[in-house]
Amino acid sequence: MTMKRTEETMREEGRSGDREHRPNTRTTEVAGRSSGGVKSAEPVVTVENLSMYYGSFKALQDVNMRIDRNSVTALIGPSGCGKSTFIRSINRMHEIVPKARVEGKVILDGEDVYAPDVDPVRVRRKVGMVFQKPNPFPTMSIYDNVLAGIKLGGKRKKGELDEVVERTLRQAALWDEVKDKLKQGGTSLSGGQQQRLCIARTLAIEPEVILMDEPASALDPVSTQKIEDAMEDLKERYTVVIVTHNMQQAARISDYTGFFFIENMGDPGRLWEFDETSKMFSNPNRKETEDYVTGRFG
Amino acid sequence: MPRETFQQELDRLVGEVVVLGREVEGTLDDMARSMDGYDAEIASRDLGVDSRFKGRGAELDEECMILQARQAPVARDLRLIYTIQAVNNHMVRAGTLGEHICRAIVETSECERDPDLHAALLEMARSARDLFGQGLDIFENRDIESARDLEAGDDKVDLLYSEAMNLVANPSDGGGGAPEWRVRAALMVHYLERIADHGVDIGERTVFLVTGERMESAMRQYRDRDLNVDED
Repeated sequence: MTMKRTEETMREEGRSGDREHRPNTRTTEVAGRSSGGVKSAEPVVTVENLSMYYGSFKALQDVNMRIDRNSVTALIGPSGCGKSTFIRSINRMHEIVPKARVEGKVILDGEDVYAPDVDPVRVRRKVGMVFQKPNPFPTMSIYDNVLAGIKLGGKRKKGELDEVVERTLRQAALWDEVKDKLKQGGTSLSGGQQQRLCIARTLAIEPEVILMDEPASALDPVSTQKIEDAMEDLKERYTVVIVTHNMQQAARISDYTGFFFIENMGDPGRLWEFDETSKMFSNPNRKETEDYVTGRFG
Repeated sequence: MPRETFQQELDRLVGEVVVLGREVEGTLDDMARSMDGYDAEIASRDLGVDSRFKGRGAELDEECMILQARQAPVARDLRLIYTIQAVNNHMVRAGTLGEHICRAIVETSECERDPDLHAALLEMARSARDLFGQGLDIFENRDIESARDLEAGDDKVDLLYSEAMNLVANPSDGGGGAPEWRVRAALMVHYLERIADHGVDIGERTVFLVTGERMESAMRQYRDRDLNVDED
């Protein structure tokens, strides 16, 4: 027996506890992180033992996660590991894919969104979504794009609608750029502006949670920065969950980071590690997380 | 292989820091040997090396900054660059203090010395040199188990510091040495204690590099580990 330990052996020792656990066990521990040294706050979404299927294909297995109110949670991981699938489970958007189904629970404000009597439309009003590619309604003006969702909920006074348009465009850091051309078409804007318009449209329905699926991946650095700045302000009123392939973006904007990973080809994706972002990007617990965030694979 | 170039740059940077560290260790060895016989000839070899150490240290620091700007390191890469910068700083400062001691030896080689205080200084010089070398070995080999030994070495230097300072303040009757030498001796005592601390800090930084934990926490975990688990 040699007593000399080097970097690798010590790191392995430090992680030996992790290696004894299967990932699903690990994520179960994560779900109870309020008692595990991570700050305690009110959860807005709690995901319990969530598995997701497309037909017979199991895309995601046994995810447990608690998303705190007024926080930004970044989801990272290699392509195809289930990040987007996961966030679509939170507002039941995955249901638009034929033969998609879930097992487990997604509890929003104490209510399981998959309970039989829950209307998915009501869920989607509480959990808004911004997609990778900006998708303003092409025939609508900037003004009408912002109000597209809110108008479905019934008539409102003009002054009230004006106030919603200005407030949400300000929150999305777009007001100053469009305030003099609100009647122009939404597609007349640049890609970065269109994406912020879509954020304003999501904010207009006053959701509690905003899901963002790579919202800045197609944007230039300036537009990306504006969206990141907006996100910092948004968490004062909302809870944000963002899927991103940009490690630095995750490190910059999020309070918590979840790393999704597929251990072997063909396996379902799992939540491999979840912790405060400062921990995930300085000293993650698991080797695969460290290899991914340092760019060793993926 | 992703980031292969970045890894090569990190490896090269670590190598260059270790080279600088070994040069500083050489100066500290000259310092200890010249203290032994108060040999001005050995000590004079190292006069002026501090400017070279500072210059090289500044270059390495800049390389670290450029790597951070270009590569945006995280996790172990971030800890490595953070540690390299800290270790680099400790090495340059230890080298500078070693040069100051060599200069003091050259400039007071003809002065009368207090034999007891000189003996304490010699013991401190050897201990400080050894602690620095241990710290550098730990960093080069990531051998953080040896970091446990630094604590005992540091305690020894602290005891010698108290003893030497007591001798500075309370010279033996008629044997206190020349006033000029006593003033320099007091400074050397302080410098040697600092050199030892730099060595300890290099080892502690390495513990952080490897484990991501600060020294005390990491050592506590290490001591509390289950020794019944067989090692292959």
